[in-house]
Amino acid sequence: MSRNENKVKIMPKAIVCEDCIIQGDVTISSGCVVHPSAQIIAETGPIVIGENCIIEEYAKIHNRIQPESPDKPHILTIGPNNIFEVGSVIEASKIGEKNIFECKSFVSSDVEVSNGCVICAGCHLSGGQHLLENTVIFGKHCQQREALDRISGSHMLQLDFLRKILPNYHHLRKAKQ
Amino acid sequence: MDFLISQNYVNYVCQCGLLKPLTNLYFCRHCLNLRCSFCCHHEVDSHFCRNCLENIPSSEAKLRKNKCNSCFDCPSCSFSVLSARATTIQVPMTVKEKQEGEESSTTTSEASSGKMVAKKMYYLACLACRYSSRDVGISDQASQNFCWPEQEYMHANRFNTILNYYQALVLHDKQVKQDEKRRKTTNKSKFQSMTDRTGLNVSAIRRQMGFDKTVSKPKNKPASILPSMTEEVEELSEDIFTKPINLKNITTIEQRFTQPANQPESVKHLYPQHKNLSIKRSIRCRHCEHNVIKPEYNPTSIKYRIQQFASSHVPEVRIIKCYPLMPNKSAFITLKLTNPTMNDMTITIMELPTDDEEVMMIDEMKKNFESLTVSSKSSLMRPSLIEDPRIVSCKPTAKLELPDSSFVINQRDDSAEFDDEIQTDKKDPKFVIWRKANKIAIELSITPNDLKVNDEVIVGFTMHYTYSTVPSTTAEKKDSQQRHALNARVYLNVGNIVDYSTK
Repeated sequence: MSRNENKVKIMPKAIVCEDCIIQGDVTISSGCVVHPSAQIIAETGPIVIGENCIIEEYAKIHNRIQPESPDKPHILTIGPNNIFEVGSVIEASKIGEKNIFECKSFVSSDVEVSNGCVICAGCHLSGGQHLLENTVIFGKHCQQREALDRISGSHMLQLDFLRKILPNYHHLRKAKQ
Repeated sequence: MDFLISQNYVNYVCQCGLLKPLTNLYFCRHCLNLRCSFCCHHEVDSHFCRNCLENIPSSEAKLRKNKCNSCFDCPSCSFSVLSARATTIQVPMTVKEKQEGEESSTTTSEASSGKMVAKKMYYLACLACRYSSRDVGISDQASQNFCWPEQEYMHANRFNTILNYYQALVLHDKQVKQDEKRRKTTNKSKFQSMTDRTGLNVSAIRRQMGFDKTVSKPKNKPASILPSMTEEVEELSEDIFTKPINLKNITTIEQRFTQPANQPESVKHLYPQHKNLSIKRSIRCRHCEHNVIKPEYNPTSIKYRIQQFASSHVPEVRIIKCYPLMPNKSAFITLKLTNPTMNDMTITIMELPTDDEEVMMIDEMKKNFESLTVSSKSSLMRPSLIEDPRIVSCKPTAKLELPDSSFVINQRDDSAEFDDEIQTDKKDPKFVIWRKANKIAIELSITPNDLKVNDEVIVGFTMHYTYSTVPSTTAEKKDSQQRHALNARVYLNVGNIVDYSTK
């Protein structure tokens, strides 16, 4: 545990609450906000989280050991400006930028998520696939739809607010290079 | 709680012979009978939009095709209501420019063109599936309400012509019928004239002479419309089976069915749909034409003006416990009876009527009703609307040992919950296990018939209870409170026969 803890790299200006669980080789870029009781677990290989991501409570980002190729290390890279909402479980192999994973959504390890995708609340996505840009997965039967390009930085207001509020009520992890 | 109530283990027989749980039944205070939604008259009280809670008069609702003007459903997920979202955009001063120009002609176009003004624009978005009105190319609107472009339907004209044609046809048919009726009634005049008897009335003479106007007058039959037939059907393109399709662009069946007039095939045509209106309905007893349910008119209120739910008038039976059931062996069941009324109830448990008795009961009911309708000719409804009572389809598969005496359930007292246990010194019969406030638990013994393993065991009994009508107006004296002896037939599904061989 302590050995793993040392591998966690938190860039300056990132806000990472102390109560969250971070295991393994995890890099959190600057501008990210990680809420308390979020989980980021790097089992197979490192997880690299891009800038300005929000990881909310009970969200779980997991780089899991693949049963078919347990020895092959795999780097989970997550692009900038992603939002992982409350209770989402993400095991995707690759994540682009500006994606939103809504509450209680689940993405399995053989899914590649590109840019601007939205996995709506409660949608379970499994089975090998590559999500094209701006795909929206919604509804009980996980229908797919293509959305328009979203305006970038739409969650900047939220980020600013969280950066201001979270330090008032939580202990933060110190940035380590 | 949901487990206890939503499973229909205890069913009551409605007056019409259907089995329903007590929660789905109404009680008509005037007929003193149970009524279900099937044997009542349903009326639309008012139309309203359940999103904006606007009350819409029925004539207007018809005009708007039962849709709300200002609320939209999401065409993509049809799950949530679209909400208007605001964005600010920078626009060059155009409106103000004109105003300024009107006010003072001194401002030049060069001075104002440089200015940019933040303007609020609205678009519709679905919070569940992230659909937005921008997806289908609806431009943002300056105002939040009403000015969303209406979708045009391909077949709107066709529908209108068909509608007009059939309306004209109905009118025409009515006129023809009326004319015929008039002719017939004049012939059946009280005073038969000589010419009538000889077949020589005025119109006949006229016809013979050849200048009859009334009969040969051509009725202006509406011009018939062309049948919708297309001569040529386009051939399928050759690549239809080979071209890969993008499922993201094709609508689902559900999405098409939410827009029956349009049925778009491509997601590009999923326009926001006006929200369907909801109704408030009142329920009326078909026999005495009194309301059993009448909601308050105001759409924001969920209260009732009249509510005659059976659960607040008829003693409720619940199964507490049932011992394992084996064929031809007696087992005990424990039932809980609750008195929901403000008066003490005396309850006697009796046997169900036999088939012959049931037929007799139904005949009697029919007779009663016929005499009722004959006596009151002013009845609003046709008697044909009244559902014939039927024989209960459910047959009990076990024998119930009836208790040898009747018992009393105390009145409902809301304050009794807070009191300490007060034991009444009423001498209860043996089968009463306990009593608490307005509840009583009784234990009865049942013997299932010769059934197979896993067969359902159904027990039935007639519950004879006393019911006191509450005077509806305060002017009536307390003495006017009348006591009635009423019957309710109850069927209990007490469980399945257990497989005792494995034990």
